[in-house]
Amino acid sequence: MNTDRRRNNAPPGGTSAPVFARTIREPGYLQSLRPRRSRGPNELRRIFLQPSIIPSASGSAYLEIPTSSTPSTSTLVPPTSSLKITASVQGPKPLPRSAPFSPSLLLTTTVKFAPFATRNRRGYIRDTTERDLGVHLETALRGVIIGERWPKSGVEVVVTILEGDEDGWWGDSASEGSANGSGWGLLNVLAGCITVASAAITDAGIDCVDVITGGVAAITRNPDSRDQKDLARLLDPCPAEHKEIVAACAVAYLASRDEITEIWMKGDIGADPDALIEGATHAAVGSLAVVKDVLLEALQAKFQGQLEVKESGVKRKAGDVDMTG
Amino acid sequence: MATSTQSQPPALTFPRPIFAAVSPHPFLQAHLSADKRTPQRANGRTAHNSRRPGVNTGSLTHANGSAVVRLGNTSVVCGVRAEILREEDISGSSDFAVPTTPSDTDDQDGSKEIDVLRLVVPNVELSTGSTPSHIPGNAPSTYQQSLITRIRSLLLSTNLLRAKDLRILYTPTTNPDDPDEEPETQIKGYWVLYVDVFFISVDGSAFDAAWIGILAALRDTKLPRAWYDEEFEGILCSDDPAEATTLQLRGLPVPATFAVFEGQAEDGIEGDKDWILSDPDAFEEGVCRESVCVVVDGKKSVRRIEKSGGGVVGRDGMRELVRRAGERWSEVEQVLGGKA
Repeated sequence: MNTDRRRNNAPPGGTSAPVFARTIREPGYLQSLRPRRSRGPNELRRIFLQPSIIPSASGSAYLEIPTSSTPSTSTLVPPTSSLKITASVQGPKPLPRSAPFSPSLLLTTTVKFAPFATRNRRGYIRDTTERDLGVHLETALRGVIIGERWPKSGVEVVVTILEGDEDGWWGDSASEGSANGSGWGLLNVLAGCITVASAAITDAGIDCVDVITGGVAAITRNPDSRDQKDLARLLDPCPAEHKEIVAACAVAYLASRDEITEIWMKGDIGADPDALIEGATHAAVGSLAVVKDVLLEALQAKFQGQLEVKESGVKRKAGDVDMTG
Repeated sequence: MATSTQSQPPALTFPRPIFAAVSPHPFLQAHLSADKRTPQRANGRTAHNSRRPGVNTGSLTHANGSAVVRLGNTSVVCGVRAEILREEDISGSSDFAVPTTPSDTDDQDGSKEIDVLRLVVPNVELSTGSTPSHIPGNAPSTYQQSLITRIRSLLLSTNLLRAKDLRILYTPTTNPDDPDEEPETQIKGYWVLYVDVFFISVDGSAFDAAWIGILAALRDTKLPRAWYDEEFEGILCSDDPAEATTLQLRGLPVPATFAVFEGQAEDGIEGDKDWILSDPDAFEEGVCRESVCVVVDGKKSVRRIEKSGGGVVGRDGMRELVRRAGERWSEVEQVLGGKA
């Protein structure tokens, strides 16, 4: 464990996560905790989105996708996690004088997991997964922002994941070693990051060609059937609810232009990748409906406020402070 | 706004946000001196008025205890995660014996145990886009580091946690050395509490918000029952919520931050008046140079006083601030649920 002189560090011997007795003693009990998908294959999880949560940032948003499985009160083992992400946009602001000339807006994206975001504690220093997610998010956003309107400027998009989707059900990783492939949860996290960052950018008033949203689709194998070819396509998968995911795909999709700015595909897609991509775009369109509604509402509230100010304009003018000297 | 400048010699008028940005000090002074009786701040509060915290606990899935605290526009998420430090992983020869008296008498000893073994690991993250001055990608700023240090030292100096809660004890069924004697209880491990505070948004009084978040999260923390299993040769936990224990905190230390605003003399107006503002927001913190932080527990005890910059607050002023911190304590105690 590397030490970080600027923060408080864990005990030098290292610590381990607690092991629960019943999960290793009673295999049947373990299986009874396994979550199952209760939604239809084309049904998305509910999305909660709130813009303008950080007053000091030029734009910000908070996204939450709660779990569909109900948390049980009979065990301390954490149930499947939900997705909780905040995004904050700082800028556009002028580049420092030392920076070379840039004809368009310089976009910097940072993605960071909170230490309590996942089942295993994460560190404070950004690891490769987080850097990777940051690059994916940057490519997704670069395609929508009209950068030519802000020469010599830079903008920071900072995404913090307070709680992230898991790569699979925790019981599987403990008993069977690593399941086939990993990182399924990252696709969901990326799609969430794209959606929330898009809402934050719109909140900041940065010109975009369209509202971009993220969506995920997956191909899973049905565990009950004997047939190896019994595959099913799902929208918005929750990796913990499926025993075996064969392939998955996340896209950043511009619905009204029918364009994809970012695509991330994993696993054994088979002969027809188009069906999977199309599924992901359907999921993106689903979250677009929520984003549009929320942004429109926020905009109306803003203008409502401005109208009221104008009506009481005479009073406001008296409220202005005289500056003497 | 611009239309009013058409008429003759215009007094230069600005809308509020521009006045605040262009000359923050006169802006705040104009507000405070507008009403002599009850000075109002730019944010609409009176000088003694602090923001009422909003607390929401238990919202994080993977934390043993968590809290979201809002203090006006300052909001933090705090998560407490407990992991196990095994006895054989403890480096060095720092032997802490099992206290023979099973009561509260291990006060001094317990806090040393927590300090030396690093059983509580508090950390703070500001670079989440929460404020324009902390951009991620850089090393933690000095402000963030000082915040972490202040929190850790306050956690240790107030003896908030009990070492008794964190020990994982084991009593063998028989004494291996001498089967006739009573087996000795030994420490097989410790719970280590990782306390992570993430700022979502910063608008002043960051220390107060972080500390209230930590308090609320620690009070919400549930540790599973853990025991040393001979067959497994390791520490196992029970996942039954009924067997889990909550932490027994010692007292409820609550900080109150004050900023001292020094009036400046302007032509015609006598200016050597100072205001002491409770629970300053980011704008006020930027204007004020002198600040005081008083940590009190209950109506009687003062746990810590920090003061920096300026010389406005004297001995009498400090007495007054301790009284104001006591008022703040009652308010926070009420919000946190009151079982101190």
